[in-house]
Amino acid sequence: MKIILNNSSMVPIYEQLMDQIKNEIIEGRLVSETALPSVRTLSGELKISALTVKKAYDRLEEEGFIVTVHGKGSFVAETDKNLALEACRKTVEDEFAKVILKAKNFGFSKEEIQDVVSIILEEDK
Amino acid sequence: MITAKNVTKRYVDFTLQVDFEIPKGRITGFIGKNGAGKSTTMKLILGLVSPDEGEMIVMGSSATNLSIKEKENIGVSLAESGFSPYLRIADITKILKKAYPNFAQEKFENACRSMGLPLNKPMKEFSTGMKAKLRVLVAMTHEAKLLILDEPTAGLDVEARNEVLDLIREYMKEDEKRTVLITSHISSDLESLCDDIYLIDNGKIILHEDTDVILGEYGILKVDQETFQKMDKSFLAKTVPTSFGYTCFTKEKRYYKDNYPGMVIENVKLDELILMLTEFKKGENEK
Repeated sequence: MKIILNNSSMVPIYEQLMDQIKNEIIEGRLVSETALPSVRTLSGELKISALTVKKAYDRLEEEGFIVTVHGKGSFVAETDKNLALEACRKTVEDEFAKVILKAKNFGFSKEEIQDVVSIILEEDK
Repeated sequence: MITAKNVTKRYVDFTLQVDFEIPKGRITGFIGKNGAGKSTTMKLILGLVSPDEGEMIVMGSSATNLSIKEKENIGVSLAESGFSPYLRIADITKILKKAYPNFAQEKFENACRSMGLPLNKPMKEFSTGMKAKLRVLVAMTHEAKLLILDEPTAGLDVEARNEVLDLIREYMKEDEKRTVLITSHISSDLESLCDDIYLIDNGKIILHEDTDVILGEYGILKVDQETFQKMDKSFLAKTVPTSFGYTCFTKEKRYYKDNYPGMVIENVKLDELILMLTEFKKGENEK
């Protein structure tokens, strides 16, 4: 499992951690029933607080990506690929919804928002 | 693991008054300026000084009445403490074996070797870093359930500091029920190590927060006069005037990030937090 955390990012560390573990699962690098490192181990390796790791694990469990067996540790859950993709889609949608709301607050029209999106997509190519 | 109930200790020109609860399985950090009361707190926990008021409970017993058996469960490294400089590690091993029935000699000697500490040299020939590493190793190689480290990284260079921190991380990995209490005035050390942080100033705890929350939700805003007048100030915990306007400390950086695009928002470093919060108190006093 490779995790890269950006300490100066505005995205909270637990969220970065969650997203990366999710990606590993969705892209099949972490298969179901794989044991995840213990909270303390991962915290030591990434040099972050154990509570941060725990928070990420807890959220991942809520979203059904991992299962925690008391006394044994956390494991990658049996995930339905589609369900996982749906979860990603939902995250992206939520983010877009936020930005669109912001744009509307600035008085952007629907077309203007679409323009911005197409420009950014163009730039990416 | 440790409970301080209204613990008060008075000295001629200094009073410490603390309340806290440290659960099992945590790495808890105490930060603060020199003379803030960190070491006194550690001494109270170890029963080396007794409180004038209140109660310090360690592993279920009063800190001043811990039995020898209970004390064996505590590993300690105090700043400036140590063994006679004329002894060698090979000599202190014998002392430790007698003092702690659970002392793991082989593990200790292996750890010393891998840290580059010679077993057969008198300790007066050790560098500051070597002495510090030895202090921490001594504290952690008798299967202690509670580790109390007062300034284990003071005076060390960045590499030696990292080695000491890694030792603590390893110790916690071995058994997740262990508890570590660490003080430091080099707060960047604690950012990457501790689960929660107490900020102590002038004998009082002025902040207790999970490291995760400090790094994830606290923020420093830098705004000019004009923006400052107009912005919502309800989530500002502290504001300091500067040459360009104001530097503000918030516990809700996301609120400002979402509502004020373009505003300069920085993540909080513990050092800045100490300065912001302790300066604040100074300002208050002057009023």
